[in-house]
Amino acid sequence: MNDSEQAPIIPEEGEVGFVEYQDFVSKEPFKFVSGGKLPELTLRYETYGHLNAAKDNAILICHALSGDHHCAGVHGIEERKQGWWNFMVGPGKPIDTTRHFVICSNVLGGCQGSTGPGSINPQTGKAYKLDFPKLTVQDMVKAQSLLIDDFGIDRLHAVIGGSMGGMQTLQWAIDFPERLGRYIALASGARHTAQAIAFNDTGRQAIISDPAWKQGDYDPECGPDQGLAVARMMAHITYLSDVGMESKFGRKRRSGDESKEHFDVEFEVESYLRYQGASFVSRFDANTYLYLTKALDRFDLHSPESLDATLSAVTSPGLVIGFTSDWLYPPHGNREVVEALLRLGKDATYAELAMDFGHDSFLVRAPKLYELIHRFLTR
Amino acid sequence: MSPIDKKRQADFQVIAQWVEPGERVLDLGCGRGVLLEYLKQKKSIYGVGVDIDFDKILSCVKRSVPAYQGDARTILATFPDGAFDRVIFSRTVEQLDDAGTILAEGLRVGKKVTVGFINKGFWVNRLCTLFKGRRVINEVYPKPWYETQPTNSFSVNEFEEYCNARKLVIENRAFLAGDWRSECSVFPNLLAGYAIYDLSSID
Repeated sequence: MNDSEQAPIIPEEGEVGFVEYQDFVSKEPFKFVSGGKLPELTLRYETYGHLNAAKDNAILICHALSGDHHCAGVHGIEERKQGWWNFMVGPGKPIDTTRHFVICSNVLGGCQGSTGPGSINPQTGKAYKLDFPKLTVQDMVKAQSLLIDDFGIDRLHAVIGGSMGGMQTLQWAIDFPERLGRYIALASGARHTAQAIAFNDTGRQAIISDPAWKQGDYDPECGPDQGLAVARMMAHITYLSDVGMESKFGRKRRSGDESKEHFDVEFEVESYLRYQGASFVSRFDANTYLYLTKALDRFDLHSPESLDATLSAVTSPGLVIGFTSDWLYPPHGNREVVEALLRLGKDATYAELAMDFGHDSFLVRAPKLYELIHRFLTR
Repeated sequence: MSPIDKKRQADFQVIAQWVEPGERVLDLGCGRGVLLEYLKQKKSIYGVGVDIDFDKILSCVKRSVPAYQGDARTILATFPDGAFDRVIFSRTVEQLDDAGTILAEGLRVGKKVTVGFINKGFWVNRLCTLFKGRRVINEVYPKPWYETQPTNSFSVNEFEEYCNARKLVIENRAFLAGDWRSECSVFPNLLAGYAIYDLSSID
């Protein structure tokens, strides 16, 4: 039997092109769930498309741990790399900037322009470092809501994000149910598995045991680069899959002088991971890495009472997407969220994509993912 | 709508008559979500579809029908007793591994279970086996054996035997003739092309 339906006509695609970031500054003190406070707060963000007169066409994109506010376009002609979700965001793309006003902000606690451990505390004139309050996903979402307030937006058309962004998305649906029309959480879940916490802590220990970390009190110019690079290398492995790594690298060797040092780069995969580690160090702050990974480990929608009790606040329709090869945030963890939502009689959908790219599958352009998001945002 | 689509939707009207307005309905093997969309329009139900196939879920998303990609057994296990007013198996039971257990799970999760199936005892199927020594190929069974999924088909009488053996209450039954449109009122095991049952447990 032929069950195929005609594919929707996806309009011709364009690019958002050159983009610039903005800074939102709130001079009000910001209070964390933990009770900690910041005297003021900055969120760096980018927007694409136009906010309509009714202010009801905005989509908020939440980024992942190592991502930032730059999710589409380029900053300048010399920039080689486009924003991290460029294939998803733009004119005629699933997150269509001809219809929607798209906002993406660097998270609270981040290190790409938003207030984080590396920012200067205006009260002391020095960087916060470990005086930065204990951070949770709830705090990240609360800070984003201030930016949305500042735009005069009461209700977002949608909130969408993958991985840490997926957790923020779920938190949005729980904390601000009346402020979003729908939500899409990709490659996320209700909480970290023991395995995910274990990997995160090994990464944190790599940073903390680097003598250059100095109890977090390092000079930004000479931080714990070795520790951060190792943390990133290991985390990067958890974002891929064995099948994906095998097909990308296999046992391919670097052509090199056999007489070199015993432990120099020998395999392609080593070279790739070392490059990932080194490039991460140049754009990421070690203390931010510690704060964000801890916030993720603490995230637990089963707490304080139960998953069902937490999700009972949700009112908007949701789509949760799992990826078969994701062993960091495995399909069953994604599925569990929808199972609870359906128990509660909510409008929720679970879809699972068979892709080989592991946890990072949500960052890979795939026609099925493309169509799923397009359909859910336009239904 | 093509004749095949019409046939595929044969049980919609019967099921819609049995469904009460505002019911909570779980459709196992929901396909493209057409039945749930229909019931939502006709009876304002809250419906959830379940299907193993990504493309079917994609179609449900397009229809704004909440859907869960996965296995019927897995999702049933996550629901408490009586979570739904009705669990529907429309042309699904034939595809299940250990159908009896999953139907029993359906009756735990749903206050009622609706089953729609193609009657294996239909006279055309019998004649084909008897005279040609082969299975039928027609609109209902369009593909030869080597292009299809394993299918555990059964007849009206076999289904009633199962219901009696498990002491299930048959709340409603409806039979459609070979055209899957007109009602079939006599000798359903021989003359019905399609059968629809509404079941409940005794307690």
